[in-house]
Amino acid sequence: MKTLLRKEMTLTAAPITYFFIAFAVMTMFPGYPIVMSGFFTCLGILYTFQFAREYNDILYTALLPVSRDDVVRAKFAFTVCIEAMTFLITIILAIVRMTALANVEPYASNPLMGANLAFLGYVLIVYALFNTVFLSGFFKTAYKYGRPFIVFCVVSFVVAAVGEVLPHLPGLGALGATTAEPLQGVVLAVGILSFALGTACSLRASMRSFSRIDL
Amino acid sequence: MSMALEVTDLCKDYPTFHLRNVSFSLEEGSIMGLIGRNGAGKTTTLKSLLGLVRPASGRILFWGMDFADHEAEIKQRIGYVVGGTSYYQRRKIGEIAHVTRLFYQNWDDGQYRHCLDEFSLDENKCLLELSEGMKVKFNLALALSHHAELLILDEPTSGLDPVSREELLELFMDLVDRGATILFSTHIISDLEKCADGITYLHEGRVLTSEGLSTFREKYRLVTHADDLSDTQKERVLGIRRNREGHTALILKEDVSAFTELSPDIPDLETIMSHLEAEE
Repeated sequence: MKTLLRKEMTLTAAPITYFFIAFAVMTMFPGYPIVMSGFFTCLGILYTFQFAREYNDILYTALLPVSRDDVVRAKFAFTVCIEAMTFLITIILAIVRMTALANVEPYASNPLMGANLAFLGYVLIVYALFNTVFLSGFFKTAYKYGRPFIVFCVVSFVVAAVGEVLPHLPGLGALGATTAEPLQGVVLAVGILSFALGTACSLRASMRSFSRIDL
Repeated sequence: MSMALEVTDLCKDYPTFHLRNVSFSLEEGSIMGLIGRNGAGKTTTLKSLLGLVRPASGRILFWGMDFADHEAEIKQRIGYVVGGTSYYQRRKIGEIAHVTRLFYQNWDDGQYRHCLDEFSLDENKCLLELSEGMKVKFNLALALSHHAELLILDEPTSGLDPVSREELLELFMDLVDRGATILFSTHIISDLEKCADGITYLHEGRVLTSEGLSTFREKYRLVTHADDLSDTQKERVLGIRRNREGHTALILKEDVSAFTELSPDIPDLETIMSHLEAEE
């Protein structure tokens, strides 16, 4: 598995996927729906799947002395690695905004969602959607990625919209606060849970689909 | 002689094509050609052997081991090359080899360097810069570098010029001399005459025959100037083709007595196939 992941990182990965990790700095953008930083990470990963298709990567990998399940596991591992790298930067920047910059303009009067615990939860939900909607959709054919990505775009935009609207509803203002609030922990918990469960279920479904298709 | 590969009753169903009960076996240290016209099921058969296509039923044994149960172990001992298909076109071949070597227990760097020299491959070139023949040679180099005992080659000579094809066929024979076993599909039948020990002939998803090349050829005779055949003679014709001089007819060796005045001759493999595939 480690060898396959190394292959994904070096031979298969599109260089631009690594560049898109830098979109984590969108966390620092005031007046911007920063949940979209999660979307851009996934857009970067999409490029690797495009590369994989153009390079006949799936066929090459399936011919290696590995099982079909490992082919799927490697793609998931690569995706989760990229998401983890981006999320780590996102966490650091969110902590900076929640502490040192919480009362600093323009963040203090930012009308959109602040970089808080709820924001981190929404980013994880976006990753979870990518891992479930896109990855499991891709492995139904191992070459068609357009439709799964469009569906992912729609649902991730909905999540971003919900994230921006909720703090403006009565009693939910804490979700948009510039500092950490207990209510934000609920969204973060939902994010962690959906990421872990969604990715695990999608991995199982993808392995099942991939084991049935002809390459 | 032990068997490198045994295929029994392999079946696969597509909406418009069916592979039906394909069975054949391949002795170690031999070259077998998988022949048939386009769409006969050659690629489906080869892909099924490697688990790329999921067969509906059938049994595939490599060195007596079931592929489904020993997939990784069997793949360590196999090299698969597809003519006209390449991976990571814009990557340098050195990069591809560097990653590929990580997966094979028997990878031999010395052998890899030797193959690069023997095939005049430049590690710093991208696959895109290589000719079709050189791409096939690169994939062969990868297979040989992990000491693949069985080479499964899908149309390896397609798209190659006659000189490159000849070189590749000579290489196949050298490899068999060194102990390898080769199964390759082709629709360039003349290639098989030069190097194959046996053939498996697929027709519309079924095995028409699987036997030694000379045994197969010996079964048929070709009648030239077959323009005015009697009704009795026509009944014995397996296939008829037209050329500039007139018609040629394929018959079985045991029916030669009915055609003595036309002096039937032993046909080459391509002629046999073209007549057997002739529309009735």
